[in-house]
Amino acid sequence: MLLPAIKKKYLLLIVLLLLIASAWYFSDTPVDYNADIKPLLNKKCITCHGGVKKQGGFSLLFQEEAFAAAKSGKKAIVPYHPEESEMIRRLSLTDPEERMPYQHEALTPTEISLLKRWIKQGAPWGKHWAYVPVKAPQIPVINRWYSPGNGSRWAQKPIDLYIWQSLQSQNLSPSPTADKATLLRRASLDLTGMPPPENLVNQFLSNKQPLEFPTLIDSLLASPHYGEKWSSVWMDLARYADTKGYERDDRRSIWRYRDWLIQSFNNNKPYNVFITEQLAGDLLPNPSTDQLIATAFHRNTLTNDEGGTDNEEFRTAAVIDRVNTTWEALMGTTFACVQCHSHPYDPFKHEEYYQFLAFFNNTRDEDTYAEYPLLREFHGVDSIRFETVQSFLQKNAPQKERAIRFFLTTGQPTINSIAADQLINSALTDTKWLVMRNNSEARLPNSPFSNHTQLIFNYKTWKPGGKLQLRADASNGPLLTSLPLANTGGKWMLLQVDIPSLAGNHDCYLQFNNAATRDPLETGIQFDWFFFTDPFPGKGMPGYDSAYTYYRQLMQPTSVTYTPIMVENPEEFKRKTYVFERGNWLVKGKQVEPNIPAYLGKLPSGEMRNRLALARWITSENNPLTARAIVNRIWEQFFGKGLVETLEDLGTQGAQPSHPELLDYLAWQLVHSYRWDLKKLMREILLSATYQQNSAATQETLAKDPNNKWYARGPRIRLSAEQVRDQALCVSSQLNTKMFGPGVFPYQPEGVWMSPYNGASWKMNQDGDQYRRSVYTYWKRSSPYPSLINFDGPTHEVCTARRIRTNTPLQSLTTLNDSAYVDLCRAFAFSITHQSNTSVATTIQTAYQKILYKPIQPPIQQAMEKLYQQSLAYYQKNPEKILLITAQHPTHQQASDAAWIVVINALMNLDEVLTKN
Amino acid sequence: MPAHHNKLFEEARIEQAAYITRRLFFKDSLLGLGGMALGSLLGSCSNPSAPLGIIERDPIHPLLPRAPHFAPRAKSVIYLHMAGAPSQLELFDYKPDLMKLDGQSCPPSLLQGKKFAFIRGVPTMLGPQAKFAQRGQSGAWISEHLPHFADVADEVSFLKAVQTDQFNHGPAQMLMHTGSARAGRPSIGAWATYGLGSENNNLPGFVVLTSGGRFPDAGKSVWGSGFLPSVYQGVQCRSEGDPVLFLQDPAGISRDLRKASIEAINQSNAATYATFQDPETISRMAQYELAFRMQMSVPDVMNIQDEPAYIHELYGSDPAKPSLANNILLARKLVEKGVRFVQLYDWGWDTHGTSEDGAIDYGLINKCKTMDKPVAALLLDLKQRGLLEETLVVWGGEFGRTPMQENRDGKQNPFKGRDHHTEAFTMWMAGGGIQRGTSYGETDEIGYSAVSGKTSTYDIQATMLHQLGFDHERFTYPFQGRSFRLTDVHGKVIQDIIA
Repeated sequence: MLLPAIKKKYLLLIVLLLLIASAWYFSDTPVDYNADIKPLLNKKCITCHGGVKKQGGFSLLFQEEAFAAAKSGKKAIVPYHPEESEMIRRLSLTDPEERMPYQHEALTPTEISLLKRWIKQGAPWGKHWAYVPVKAPQIPVINRWYSPGNGSRWAQKPIDLYIWQSLQSQNLSPSPTADKATLLRRASLDLTGMPPPENLVNQFLSNKQPLEFPTLIDSLLASPHYGEKWSSVWMDLARYADTKGYERDDRRSIWRYRDWLIQSFNNNKPYNVFITEQLAGDLLPNPSTDQLIATAFHRNTLTNDEGGTDNEEFRTAAVIDRVNTTWEALMGTTFACVQCHSHPYDPFKHEEYYQFLAFFNNTRDEDTYAEYPLLREFHGVDSIRFETVQSFLQKNAPQKERAIRFFLTTGQPTINSIAADQLINSALTDTKWLVMRNNSEARLPNSPFSNHTQLIFNYKTWKPGGKLQLRADASNGPLLTSLPLANTGGKWMLLQVDIPSLAGNHDCYLQFNNAATRDPLETGIQFDWFFFTDPFPGKGMPGYDSAYTYYRQLMQPTSVTYTPIMVENPEEFKRKTYVFERGNWLVKGKQVEPNIPAYLGKLPSGEMRNRLALARWITSENNPLTARAIVNRIWEQFFGKGLVETLEDLGTQGAQPSHPELLDYLAWQLVHSYRWDLKKLMREILLSATYQQNSAATQETLAKDPNNKWYARGPRIRLSAEQVRDQALCVSSQLNTKMFGPGVFPYQPEGVWMSPYNGASWKMNQDGDQYRRSVYTYWKRSSPYPSLINFDGPTHEVCTARRIRTNTPLQSLTTLNDSAYVDLCRAFAFSITHQSNTSVATTIQTAYQKILYKPIQPPIQQAMEKLYQQSLAYYQKNPEKILLITAQHPTHQQASDAAWIVVINALMNLDEVLTKN
Repeated sequence: MPAHHNKLFEEARIEQAAYITRRLFFKDSLLGLGGMALGSLLGSCSNPSAPLGIIERDPIHPLLPRAPHFAPRAKSVIYLHMAGAPSQLELFDYKPDLMKLDGQSCPPSLLQGKKFAFIRGVPTMLGPQAKFAQRGQSGAWISEHLPHFADVADEVSFLKAVQTDQFNHGPAQMLMHTGSARAGRPSIGAWATYGLGSENNNLPGFVVLTSGGRFPDAGKSVWGSGFLPSVYQGVQCRSEGDPVLFLQDPAGISRDLRKASIEAINQSNAATYATFQDPETISRMAQYELAFRMQMSVPDVMNIQDEPAYIHELYGSDPAKPSLANNILLARKLVEKGVRFVQLYDWGWDTHGTSEDGAIDYGLINKCKTMDKPVAALLLDLKQRGLLEETLVVWGGEFGRTPMQENRDGKQNPFKGRDHHTEAFTMWMAGGGIQRGTSYGETDEIGYSAVSGKTSTYDIQATMLHQLGFDHERFTYPFQGRSFRLTDVHGKVIQDIIA
């Protein structure tokens, strides 16, 4: 008993000595702003001195504010001089009226001395890790001589060296490599989102000259299904849907963007190009059709068709969504929080939000019903007409060719009729179109006459006898033209009229009358858009007549695919951007110009400040966020959680990275070694020993690391909504591998779609399209495909950076009972019972093997055999039930056929099957 | 704290503790397999003595009952949302002076600087299209269109000066139910389920029932979980087809066979668990057992056929025909079984006067006929069962209607109708610790503006959360870099109607 007592005394002494020594040593070691000071300030000071509140004119939010004189004239922080710093004085007082924090507990002496030391060292202001550019990594070196256990052999690659280092610090050791069958399924699900094709299974699992794992990876990366899987991931970020959203939630044709994603991933488009095209494809020199389609990324915002909604309000909502999505999806940072005011914890200022918004605020879209601007891709006869017009122009009016081509393919730059104002006896009906009645007037403000001599407009009428007059500048201004209008019978028609040449912009007054509309309240004419232009050139040249006819026909094409795209406003339509006070779009503050937050750097001077400049900044080597965000996302797809768990926020409010050096290493690799080549990055991760570990936990790893934060075992996560369904399609051999095209309609129960004012109904495909991959399933925002939602698929109303996995009874009910799944179980069952000579045991093994590529465990085998016998007995006793479960199949009518369906249904619901091991 | 409230609070605490020791799980386990494994697995779970206000969640059982911030006044909520916005001027907000102005041009002061969804130019005023009488001891003015409701008017607290800032259906419904006019936020039912968990192990915690032939204009987002985990979203129980999607066993599979297959699945999963030791596997086994039980309990609770005839008479319900009445009867059954939040949407209250069905003197009367009797029955029935005290019943639309006749695009609509109106409309609450027979808030003599006792959509939400035991300012969830609450930065509990 004596010995421990002495030990205790010595221990105390040693601790004391250490404390003294460390106090002496640390008094001059640099204080870490991020680790020590910022948390203290955030906890004790910032509620009154930062963000919205700046008590006494003092704020700790930004360095320049903190170092400035407060209202009292005194400086709270004087770098290098704690004795002159008012903050230290006030923190140290005893008078409760003066002492800070006011009416709250005083800081401890240790805390105060920490602040003193920090000020003495010059009060260095630190940056949050994610806002500091990635530096060249220093790959850890293991002293293999001293390194015991399997680690020295295990950790050969950089990723594993990082992981090994942290495993060691946690006193954990890695798990052995998973068996080949597990690795095969894991890699295939991770890279292609579905089980591997049969030839790869055979080659990889073969005993003779098997495929090496790296070769398997390369084959999977080269599969066309690779692009489908990663597009599913990207569509959550892009909030992709086949409908417009809000009340009516009508269809939108934007599937060309989905196909662009699949092609881009499959072609391994470098990630920086991939992003640039989506943000600013339209601003690239001479953009290709594909580059224009890429910009549909930000046309996936919602459009509100509800009658009476303010188009400007919902256009503004869409622009705000583009800002928030750009940050969250591409830079893993939530910028939305400074929409209303600056925040105490973020280095971004309220005003900077709107400077950033200004990049996006100059596009042509105006929440119109038709969702203009729309890209037109001509097919069949229209594409021939288009070629003819183009070649005619190239030959006869090359200087006009570009503008006319742009007009025909984008319908821009037109003026939407909802821009009309000063309405007399006319209205913006349903807030969608301008309508005019007998003896009415409306104004198109600030119209770009710009010496144009022709006006084209899209309109409809219901009665003959209408007359339209156009005047410039005022109701009684100079008459530009007066024209009779035919009865279009309620169909949209185009009209071209010559107008006198006027320089610059003028208000254009429209005056309509039609005595035939006897009811004074009857609508006489409805307008869609107006286009100030010039007559089609080349009159009198050979081929003019047909070129001109085609030109007119192409304005209302019949063989065409429409896709909403981004088109920048021309100079005459340019919008101004203002700060919205407290985030309210109706309360406009100061006008701002496009810029990035000062905290993250500067844009090169002399460059146009547009979306292209923005895209260049986002994809520049120095952007601290872009590479980290995508690397983190890819890691999350493989391991079930990111190196920073909050994929949506790498910023100050997000989670701390578990392996910051590894994250930076991968980000550096992506940008510098791989030149933004995602496939190479994925290959490196999949070839690591970390990835290839067995996913079985042990009592030890569960106790030390329940959430597998340190990766002492392989990933084990439930399949995504799409993977659950795609796997069932694959293993039942029903998958239709057709790629691309408009959304398809697999089986869905009755009564799921019931949108108001929308007669759309779900018509299930019967042509094989019902068996296509989930990425092609028609996505209706207000009523998404139920089985995808049950497995945590988001609604795609806003950007979803991370799906939170749940485990619910509704999921069990889906894979047990959804007719779509039962249908697949049936096909699966019939396919494996073809050979009638095999035993029950063998058939179960075959089925299991077909899903998981490995031998079945005896307890599972027994459970399934028992289920088979129970089912067989049931159907032998109740033969009338056989037809129900076999769906009256012409040849499979035995009790055994029915029993196999029940067994397959159970197999498809096994934890192992729903999970990636 | 009254004894009754203490009781509720204690109940919640005890249930929480019971779940934490997992006794209920053992008891209810179909096969006992899950229970066995769980015992060894979850040696240390969340601490039952954790301070109040910190909502701890077991990730494997996200719906375990939890205690709120303080003693709740209501255990469950029935929210009757009349999608399309019923006219307060024909139902509750009696304005005899408006009759005098009927047919006259709307004074410019009511139009200047105002925006309407459809009214353009100068509309005419439209007098009340219903007769009113004072009813009950409280003397509440109730419309002739609500003869049954008039008899229970003493049970409710009216809010006559509710305001919103959205004048289109979709955004206004979203604001009312999620605290934001844009999609992407959790609905109030999701918040309640997130905060309180579910009381019934065999039923969803948040049930949605729709009637009127259409979903609400804002679609399923009004019962979505937004940024909360999807397990908290409303589960739509349907009156036709499967009551919950995929609930029914496939044709040709009997209950016994389904039981046998879940046994086989879970026996196999037990083997998988032995290999991988993944807690998710245990959770999945529990979910399959729960799914099996739900297959029995949901159709059971959704079946109103077995209700006695006098109950059907009382509610005006008819099992053969889907209706709001059926859903209201179901709502009572659901809260009786411990469902936390029952959200009803009845579509078809949008009375612009563009068609006869949308006319204030025709379509509206028909809608009232489908709503009046069952709503009155609900209050009576809850009361006779002693459930009204602990069930908060909320009634209302997403906004109100104008005292003017709508003139869409500047021309008179063919039928009598009113446009959307944001500045004042009526809602009411009853039960769950709400005062009986009161009215809070007043509008001007024509029912255009709120003049006193103004309440916002956020105040409604704050009050509902308050009755469930939550301080709406402290009830938050971290998302996009900040702590979000249902009421955003707004909302005051409407103390004047709390008993």
